[in-house]
Formats: sequence, C-alpha cells, structure tokens
Amino acid sequence: MISCTEFIPSYSLLFSWIEEKVDYDEVVRYWEYISRNYLEKLEAAVKEKGLFGCWEYWKHSLNEEAADFVMEMHLNEDGTGYMTSDMRYCPSMGFLLECEHFTPYHAYCDHCSVLYPPILKKYGIRSGSRKLDVQRAACGGSRHMDEPPAPEIAAAGWQAALKELENAEAEGITAWMD
Amino acid sequence: MLHLRMDRRASDNVYLHKDFHNALNLAIQYLSDNFGEEGVKDYLRFFARNYYSILKADLMQRGLIALEEHYRKIYDLEGGDVTIERTEDPDELTITVRVCPAVEHIRKLGTPLAPNYEWTTSVVHETICEDTPWRAEFSNWDPQTGASIQRFVRKEAKK
Repeated sequence: MISCTEFIPSYSLLFSWIEEKVDYDEVVRYWEYISRNYLEKLEAAVKEKGLFGCWEYWKHSLNEEAADFVMEMHLNEDGTGYMTSDMRYCPSMGFLLECEHFTPYHAYCDHCSVLYPPILKKYGIRSGSRKLDVQRAACGGSRHMDEPPAPEIAAAGWQAALKELENAEAEGITAWMD
Repeated sequence: MLHLRMDRRASDNVYLHKDFHNALNLAIQYLSDNFGEEGVKDYLRFFARNYYSILKADLMQRGLIALEEHYRKIYDLEGGDVTIERTEDPDELTITVRVCPAVEHIRKLGTPLAPNYEWTTSVVHETICEDTPWRAEFSNWDPQTGASIQRFVRKEAKK
C-alpha cells in the first residue's frame, strides 16, 4: 500500500510522468479532472454554507495535513465577506523540497490555481491573487463573496459560523464580533 | 461582522490526510482511462523507482527488515486489519491484509475503486524488488476490503 503520507511524492511524480509522456497541457487536463472529481467535500460545503464552507473545508484539510498556517474568516450575516490564508510552510511543497532523491515537478504549485477557483466560482466565490514563494514553500491568498448568496445559504453559513464562535476557545480559534 | 482566526504550527497536528487515498485512486482511474493498463503500470514503476530508491537501498543493505520496518510504521499510523509476520527464515516476509485502510477509506467516501487499483501494491513491490535478491508475490486480492497476502521471498526459494 502506498500510504496517504506518501501521496504527495506520488502526485508530483505523476505530473512529471504525464508531462514526459505528453506535455504540460495534459498535466493541466489532469488537474481539471481532479478539480471535477476530487473536490466533492469542498463543493458540498460551499453549496450549503457559502463562504463559510471554505473555512470548514480548509480547516479540516489543513489540520489533517499538519500545515503551518494562519487562516482568517470575516463574515457578514448576509453571507458576504472574505477569507484569507497565509501558508507559512505548505506541507506538500515542503515535503517535496525536503526530498533530495528525486526532482519535484517544476510547476507543482500551479495545480492549486487550477483545482479550486472553478469550483468556488460556481457558487459566487471569487479567488483573489495568490502570493507564492516556492523555494520557501510559502503562499498566501484570499476568497471573496462579494454578493450575498441565496438567503438559505447565507443563513446556513451564519449559523455554522456562530457555532464556531461558541466553540472557538476550545478549538484554539481567536474569534470576535463587531 | 464575525471574525475567526486560526493559527497552527505543523507540530500541532499529526500528518494523516486519508482523503489522499482517494486522490491516488482517481489518479489510477485517470491513467487507466487515458493511458491504458500499460500506462498505469509504467507510472507506478516510475514512481517506485524514484520515490522508493532510498527504501530499496536500505533493503539491499539490511535485507527484508527494511521493508518490515517500513510497513510496520505505515500500518501503525494508518490502521486497518493487518498482520506482518517473519519466520525463522530471514528471507521471508509476509504481510496479511484483512482490511486495507486505503480501500476502507475510499469505500467510505463512496468512490468506485479504480480498475487494477491493487497494482499500487503489487507493481510497486515488484519494482522495489527489481535487481535485488528478493521477489514480491501478491495474492488473495479482494477489492471490497482490500484484503491481500503480500510476500517477499528469496528469488531462488520455492513458493
């Protein structure tokens, strides 16, 4: 069994293999396939709770991936707002930089820009520009809900955010209202 | 406006993101659909030759204890229902998987298992054993549970 802890090198080497067999465009087609087929949890979360679905999805994923990050959510009751992420050390790119016995895919970080924005755009969430420092495995970005989503989505997101506010201290989350 | 801020260091969590098992499953599906069975095998060999080159070097230096330690570490972390056995013969290692944690997680997500998913074990093991004194055997595969029997034995040894 290839452990899930060994997935990142298998992913990077798959990109290298596909580019060697075909070209970079085929690697992008593979990322588009992953975007359509792998992100069901993200899509379900934003479909139900709008922008707050992003918080829930990345909170779960980044903790399981033991990332070194700061993530902020700023949400209005009507569902508008924005979320920022400052990835101080990406566990995926960091893993690849630490492996010296094979060469990481030269455009590894490109996959994030292909995977996530199309899914989020479907639900009215705009992806902000991304700051990237590949050699330090660092990046930062933002997601914005500029227009209010349907009232039931805004309500579901707001209720979930209020619950997060209640549990914030226990989870080590800083939370406040103004 | 409601504000939330989460600040985490890598050391705050254990690295175990099981959804990556499904990401690998989808990779095998994509390769199968677009490059055929030979494409799947070729990629898995390419991955194993590159990523497991250090494990292979350890295997050559210390023998099957290298693979035993590697898999004990992985299954201790991932769970499943697995027995790793050594006999008095230092050139025999058997991994009996009754429930594979990867297949268990993929099934839990409701995603179909890609055709030839078991090659992520069997082809990888065969590739690790290339140009070594050992060979890998793979049998009793059950795609529902991921059960299998994986053996490593001396090439000249009888089954």
